[in-house]
This record gives sequence, C-alpha cells and structure tokens, in this order.
Amino acid sequence: MHVLIVEDERSLHQEVRQFLLQAQYLCDSAFTFAEASEKIFVNSYDFVLLDLGLPDGDGLQLLREAKQNERQEASFIVLTARGAIDDRIKGLDLGADDYLPKPFSLLELLSRMQAITRLKFGLKRQEMVFGNGFHLDVTGRTLRYEGAEVPLTKKEFDLLHYLLLHKNRVLTRLQLGEHLWGNVLEDDSDSNYIDVHIKNIRKKLGHFAPADFLETVRGIGYRVSEQLSN
Amino acid sequence: MKMRLEAKLALFNALSKLLLLLTGALVIPPVVSRVAVGHTDQRLHEKMGEVLSLIRRDGITAFVRTEHDETYADYNLLKQEYITLTPVATKTSHPGVVRIFDEMRQVDNEVEDFRILSYTLPNRGARTYHLEIGSSLATVELLTTTLRHTALWVLVIGALLTILTDAAFTHYLLRPLRELIQRKLRGVQHPSAFSFEPIPTDTTDFRRLDTSLSRMMRQIQSAFEKEREFMSNVSHELLTPVSILQSRFENMLQDPELNDAHSLKIVDSQKTLYRLRNTVKTLLLIANIENEQYLRDESVSVAAVLADVINELEDRLAQREIRLLEELQPDYVLPAANRTLLFTLLFNLISNAIKYNNWGGDIIIQGKLRPEGGYRLAVTDTGPGIAPENIPHLFDRFRRFHKGGASPEGYGLGLPIAKTIAEFHHAELAVESTVGQGTTFALLFS
Repeated sequence: MHVLIVEDERSLHQEVRQFLLQAQYLCDSAFTFAEASEKIFVNSYDFVLLDLGLPDGDGLQLLREAKQNERQEASFIVLTARGAIDDRIKGLDLGADDYLPKPFSLLELLSRMQAITRLKFGLKRQEMVFGNGFHLDVTGRTLRYEGAEVPLTKKEFDLLHYLLLHKNRVLTRLQLGEHLWGNVLEDDSDSNYIDVHIKNIRKKLGHFAPADFLETVRGIGYRVSEQLSN
Repeated sequence: MKMRLEAKLALFNALSKLLLLLTGALVIPPVVSRVAVGHTDQRLHEKMGEVLSLIRRDGITAFVRTEHDETYADYNLLKQEYITLTPVATKTSHPGVVRIFDEMRQVDNEVEDFRILSYTLPNRGARTYHLEIGSSLATVELLTTTLRHTALWVLVIGALLTILTDAAFTHYLLRPLRELIQRKLRGVQHPSAFSFEPIPTDTTDFRRLDTSLSRMMRQIQSAFEKEREFMSNVSHELLTPVSILQSRFENMLQDPELNDAHSLKIVDSQKTLYRLRNTVKTLLLIANIENEQYLRDESVSVAAVLADVINELEDRLAQREIRLLEELQPDYVLPAANRTLLFTLLFNLISNAIKYNNWGGDIIIQGKLRPEGGYRLAVTDTGPGIAPENIPHLFDRFRRFHKGGASPEGYGLGLPIAKTIAEFHHAELAVESTVGQGTTFALLFS
C-alpha cells in the first residue's frame, strides 16, 4: 500500500508518517501544493492524505484536479483543521473518500483506511476469527462462537471490533471513547463507561470460552493480544 | 395602528374624499338656494325697473283708470309670474321702499308660494299706487333641486374616480419600496444571503434608501466575512498544534521500549490534551453556530432524532440501571432545522440526565404541543437537583460550580452548547429544579 501524505505542518507530517510506516504502509511526502500536484500526477498511490490548508494553494483544488483524471485510482482522505461545515460538504461532493477533522486519532485514520481498502477490493463479507472459535462478522455485525450467537450491544460490538482491528496495540480509554462517541463533545474523560463495556464484553464472551486475550494494561487501557487470522 | 404605507395613504385619501363629500352635501343646498333666490330677486328688481319706466313713459293712467279705483293685474300664460298695480290709502304704506318676501297668493283658483317684490310708488297726484311683482317659487325650487342633485352626483363620481386613480398611482409609486422590503429585508436572516441588486426606481428618496441600505449591508457582510475568516484561522492555529501532540502521544504509546511510568505520564498528558481539545472544539462549535455556519434546511422529526440519541445512549442507561420513559403526544416536525445539531442538543440533555441521575433513577421525556403554539420537549431526571443559586449560571460558558454544591462536578460544556443550538432553532431552553427531587430541562419551540 502506497500512501502520499500531503501536509505542510512538518511535525504532524512526521507523526503520521511514522505511524503509517509502522503499520506497514509505504509513505511518500509532499509539503506543498505544487509538490503534491506533481507527485499525484507522476506516481500512482493507493491513498492520498490531503490537508486542505496548504501554503501555496487550496487542497480542495488539488482534489478537484486529481478527480478529473480518469486513471486516478487513489483514495483521498481529507484532513482539515478549518472545521467549517461547508468544507466538509465540499470535500465529500468532490469525491473525497473520507474526511477527518483535526485533531484526529491515528488509530481512527488507520481504521478508516482499512475500511476503504475493504470496500475497494470488494471484500463484502469480512470475518475476524479470534480466541479459539469466536467469529466476528463485520458486515452482519454479529459475533458467533461455534455457531451460537454472542449477544452484544451496538457499542460493545464497535468496541470489540476496534480492539481487534488494532490487535496487539494498547488502546487508551480516550482512544476507545473517541471511537465510540466521536461525534459528540464531552468533557467526561474520567467516566468509566469504557471499563463497564469491557467488563460486560468479558462476561458475555466468558460464557463460551475464556476471554483472557482481552487484556487490561493497568493505568493505560486495553489490548487484544493474539495472532489473528482473517 | 400597524398598517402598510400604501394602505394608510389609501385610507387617508378615502377619508378625506368622504369628508369633502359630506361638506358638499351640507354646503351645496343652501348655496344653491341662495343663488337661485338672489337670481329671482334680481329679476324682480329688473322687472320693477321696466314697469316704472313704462309708467313714466305712458303715465299711470295707461294702466289704471283712476276714477274707477281698479287694480291692474297682468299674468303670464302659466301664472308663474304676475304684476299688479293697486291704488291704496296713502297712510298704509311707506312710499319708495322696496320689500321682497315669500307669501302665498291665490291666482285664479290655485294657492301658490310666490316670491314677491312690493313697492309703493311715490305720490302721483291724488292717489298712491302699490306695485307688486311675483314670481312663482315652484319654478325656483325645481331649479334648485336639479342643481343640487347634479352638483352632488358630480361630487360623488369625482370623489370615487380620484380615490381610484390616487390608489393606483400610489401603488405604482410605492412599488420600489415594496420590492426593497420583499427582496432585501423579508426572509433574509443572515448576511450571506444579502442581495445587492439595485431596485429599479426614478424616485430619488427610494434610490437613496436603497443605496444606503446596500452600503450598510455590505459593511455588515464584510464584518461578518472577517469574523468568519478569523474563526477559521483561529481554529487552524489552535487545532493544528493539538493535532501534532495527539499524534505524537499516540505514537509514543506504541513504542515497545516505553516503561510503565512514562506510559502513565503520557496517558495523563493525553487526558489533559483532550480537555484542551474539547474546550477549543466547543468554543469553535458555539462560534460557528452563532456565525450561522450551519444550515437549517431539513425538516426533522423530534421522535426520529430522539430515537437516534436513545440508541446511542442505551448502554449508558443500562449501566446505571436508569429507566427512560418517552411520551411524545404527538411527535413534532421542525420545519427548518439542522439534524446533526439537534442530535447534539438532545444527546447533551439526555446524557446529562443520565450522568447527574441517581443509580436506578428515572428519565422522563415529555413532548406536547403548547397551547400558545409551538412545542415543548422536556427532559426530566430524578437526580439530586440543582441549587437555586447555581441555576442562573448553568449556561455560562466554562463556568464550574464550587465543589460541594448540589451538582457533583458541574454541567460542563454540554449546556452552553445545548443553549446555543436551541437558540439557533429559535427555541428557548428553560430549567426547573428542586433539590432532592430532580431537574427538568425544557425546550420551548415557538
């Protein structure tokens, strides 16, 4: 997977790049409109992460130009700190595949990229197999253990899915909370909703098989550690 | 009285014409009679002059045979006029005095009203003669009635015609004003929707009004644009560094060589950063709503948004074993709303009602039409309630209560956002609370 990161803010650029390299993506960099325009034209990418506020031009213009080229196969994810709603609408209308308002979580970015990839390669039915016999059907939003359905609420399902997507990583309560409640502003960082969710998930899974793959990392958060097979 | 200018002018015009008509109806009859009577009197005087000159020329004897003491009388064919010369005793009258009066006279067999000129000729020899010239008042009255009617009809028709033409003309004249109101003022809620297209008019007052209005609107629009740009720059300047730090903390947490103590510090820093981030985002959200950066172009059912919110919050309700009772009687559809913002508004109210409720408490959501029009949606919890002295500050941005108050941690950012969104939808957000019993937040849509 080849990604072009278009971001003029060097520190942020560096962090995104480091994260994606660790996640086994090939990364290319552009810091200006001109640079990005040229690289998009010359190379072929799977993803373009596009900051809208470039010093020498409007990112939306770049998106417009790229989308006019029929051979363009890259998926565009628009990143912006402008925050105005009309940008969002414009970005989606012009064919951006997704939109992330800054500040965003790198984990969220990665899971959006994975979702786009799944869509692109027509993986209609995606299943995650874990914990010696659990099957998580992402499309049908169900969890089964050897054919029997494990009843999860919407939020419990989302939480488990997110942990599985980022298996072997520690996810903090804030990262999990942002994924579950991302659209809503809350100053409720000390709430224990996530802990209760995890407790319930463990209890529900525990009826079928030991759920010790779902680890608590003390003081930090939670982790699914296992070798998963898709 | 509240009326449009055009209606006021038309009303004034009609009233003044009506007044004119009334005056006409009062004044015309006496004037016409005065004129007719004056005219008759003048004719009587002229006739007297003619008769006197005839007498001077021919001598009184040509008319009266003195020795017989007879009255001379002359009538015209239809007895509308007569002239008499009667010999009288000298003492009974004052010679040389002309008197004119109305009196009944019998002519042949008919009694009629006459206008009579009476004159006693000065002494001519032995006898005194009395001259009377009469003109029938029937003719005069006929004339005055006709005149009166004609005058009144002319007046009425004239008044009606002028009322109509005046109304049509004012309508035409005021068209630029109507257009100005229609195109530039009515329905324009926001500077971005201003129209600067000049109104076609050759009335200088309207032209001046239009130009000044356009100039002021341009100033408002430019100030508004500047503010919008400022907000956009501020959000960029504030959110970019937050974004850098957030990504950096995330990367650091992935580092396998990081020890536990440092991990905890980073998680703590992440918490602080999230607080900063949410504060900035809240400020920006409120500013963007107040700057009308959001559209109000959807018709949204309260029940539908509520269902979404409850769906998002069902786990939290279950976790705290809170029962939620929903009574929308009936549902209400907001004609011009923003669904995303309404979701945020109801989410904040209900998540507060969960957060500040007692374990195992109730939340009652009641929706009903208001008798004065509009809709009332109330979210009531059975929590500890809010102390009366804290209620006025509930919606203050970023104000927290002193610890130990009736409210556990303060209502935070949710309520100022809720209030701003309510105002964006022209709704009032009202609070009632009883310490120990619970709190009701009511949205009053007008």
